[in-house]
Amino acid sequence: MLLEIDNLVKQYRKGPRANDGISLAIAEGEVFGLLGPNGAGKTTLVNQIIGLKVPTSGSIKIDGVDVVANPDYARKACSFQAQTQVPIAGLTAIQAIELVGQIRGGEKTSVQGKAAKLIESLEIREWANKMGATLSGGVRRIVAFCMAAVVPGRIVILDEPTNDIDPVRRRLLWNEVDALAKTGSAVLLITHNVLEAERAVNRLAIIDQGRIIGSGTAAELKGHDEEGMRLELVLEPGVEMPNRPSYLNHTVTSNRRMISKVRERDVAQALNWAQSLKEQGVVEEFVLGPTTLEDAYVRLVGRLDVLENKEASS
Amino acid sequence: MPKVIRQYGLMLKWQALSQKPLLPLSMAVQVMIAVGFVIGISFFYPDINPTIAKFLTTGAPTIILLMIGLVLLPQIVGMSRKEGTFDYMWSLPIPRIVYIAADATIWVAVAIPGVIVALALGAVYFDFDLSISPLVIPALLLVATSGVLLGYTIAHGAPKPEMAHLATQILVFAIMIFSPVMYPVEQLPDWLAKIHSVLPIQYMADLSRGTLTDLDVDLGLAFIVVGTWCAVGFIATSILIRRRH
Repeated sequence: MLLEIDNLVKQYRKGPRANDGISLAIAEGEVFGLLGPNGAGKTTLVNQIIGLKVPTSGSIKIDGVDVVANPDYARKACSFQAQTQVPIAGLTAIQAIELVGQIRGGEKTSVQGKAAKLIESLEIREWANKMGATLSGGVRRIVAFCMAAVVPGRIVILDEPTNDIDPVRRRLLWNEVDALAKTGSAVLLITHNVLEAERAVNRLAIIDQGRIIGSGTAAELKGHDEEGMRLELVLEPGVEMPNRPSYLNHTVTSNRRMISKVRERDVAQALNWAQSLKEQGVVEEFVLGPTTLEDAYVRLVGRLDVLENKEASS
Repeated sequence: MPKVIRQYGLMLKWQALSQKPLLPLSMAVQVMIAVGFVIGISFFYPDINPTIAKFLTTGAPTIILLMIGLVLLPQIVGMSRKEGTFDYMWSLPIPRIVYIAADATIWVAVAIPGVIVALALGAVYFDFDLSISPLVIPALLLVATSGVLLGYTIAHGAPKPEMAHLATQILVFAIMIFSPVMYPVEQLPDWLAKIHSVLPIQYMADLSRGTLTDLDVDLGLAFIVVGTWCAVGFIATSILIRRRH
């Protein structure tokens, strides 16, 4: 395995453990998703991989090299797109991408060629010569992605890469992520956008309160969620949550939302029930559909509010 | 080309471009401070003569260089710390000290026009002659570099960026009023003079005076003391920026 993390613990002086015994392994050519709500410990984990923070205990190895002891090795092996915006206020998009490529050891002309290609395929030509300070948040994030991809590390770490990005360019960006993996880089993708992750990753781990609470392929994680359907209700404001029929399982609620599982044979009655609630003015809208990774995610984390995070960012 | 030189060149370009929006303004402010400083002195001393004016004007480079290194720089580094700039810059495969060296180069360059303007204007305005020794270049570079490195020490050593900001406020005051730059050390109370005998500030002033005028100054001692502080700043900065929390 290219990246091996074993029983990693990070304890800050104050507060609970930010990482509490995390173990995972990522192979070359793999896109690995790390999903979790805000404050789950995702960014703390990344900061330890690239040597910005030092673990309290446990080990991180890249190519078998202990990078806790050799952070310089980690920085050579990893290229990184931070969750915070990159400091490129005074540089144009193209200057930033090309300079980082050269700083990462790329040769000037090949870096220029690669930068031009990324700018074309992510459709940011019109901003290429604009100063970072004048770019919108979304374009700046695409530029940050290009900075991580222009001379990619053997591990490419992307922390919330699609925040603020429009849907068309999101799709283009996922294509580029795919291309990175095809050239042999391992991609570690940190996100709380479950639906996007489901499409983009080969394997994923779900992290909450510093622990990995589930991992595997999307299909493995969905497991028993895959059978049956999901019913999602949004209540009218100020209305109390109605009593649920007994055939609704694994229900999670928050504020005005409720998500339940429905077995195939109960679908018809569930639909009628939801329809009648709508007619009574209790329910604003409802959706009945196949289960998604989101359902597994909500079930594992045990709180529906983790999805509100996703909505805020998408 | 050795790898580290290439890295330094790239980092210098990165920093120069990054600071570009701020650089002309910083330089202009430094020149204005220099001009204001020289003219302002004459208001303190209504019957100023060329000898006193020479002493005061040759204190100006030290004040300007320290203001940049110990005041402006920690504030800007503090701002960058808050914005998370270093989380990104320090994830790049480049020694952090190379980044610091490039950044320091820019700040020293920002300081130079102000220093030259202050000296030239002072000499013309108060009508005295400078006797410039070739040692002035290493002397002022040493003062500037020490100031900048001690500035990084404050900026990266402060547990919180806000604390570095506060420290700079105190330093402005301490340098301008309670340091023997604009007046001879003999005018300080003994206890304060003793403290200053181990601090770099009066020796920085000596370095500029000893290389710009015919005033009698122990240049050797000044080089040794400021050089030692420069080394302390370098070591402290190197340790602080390699720290991982």
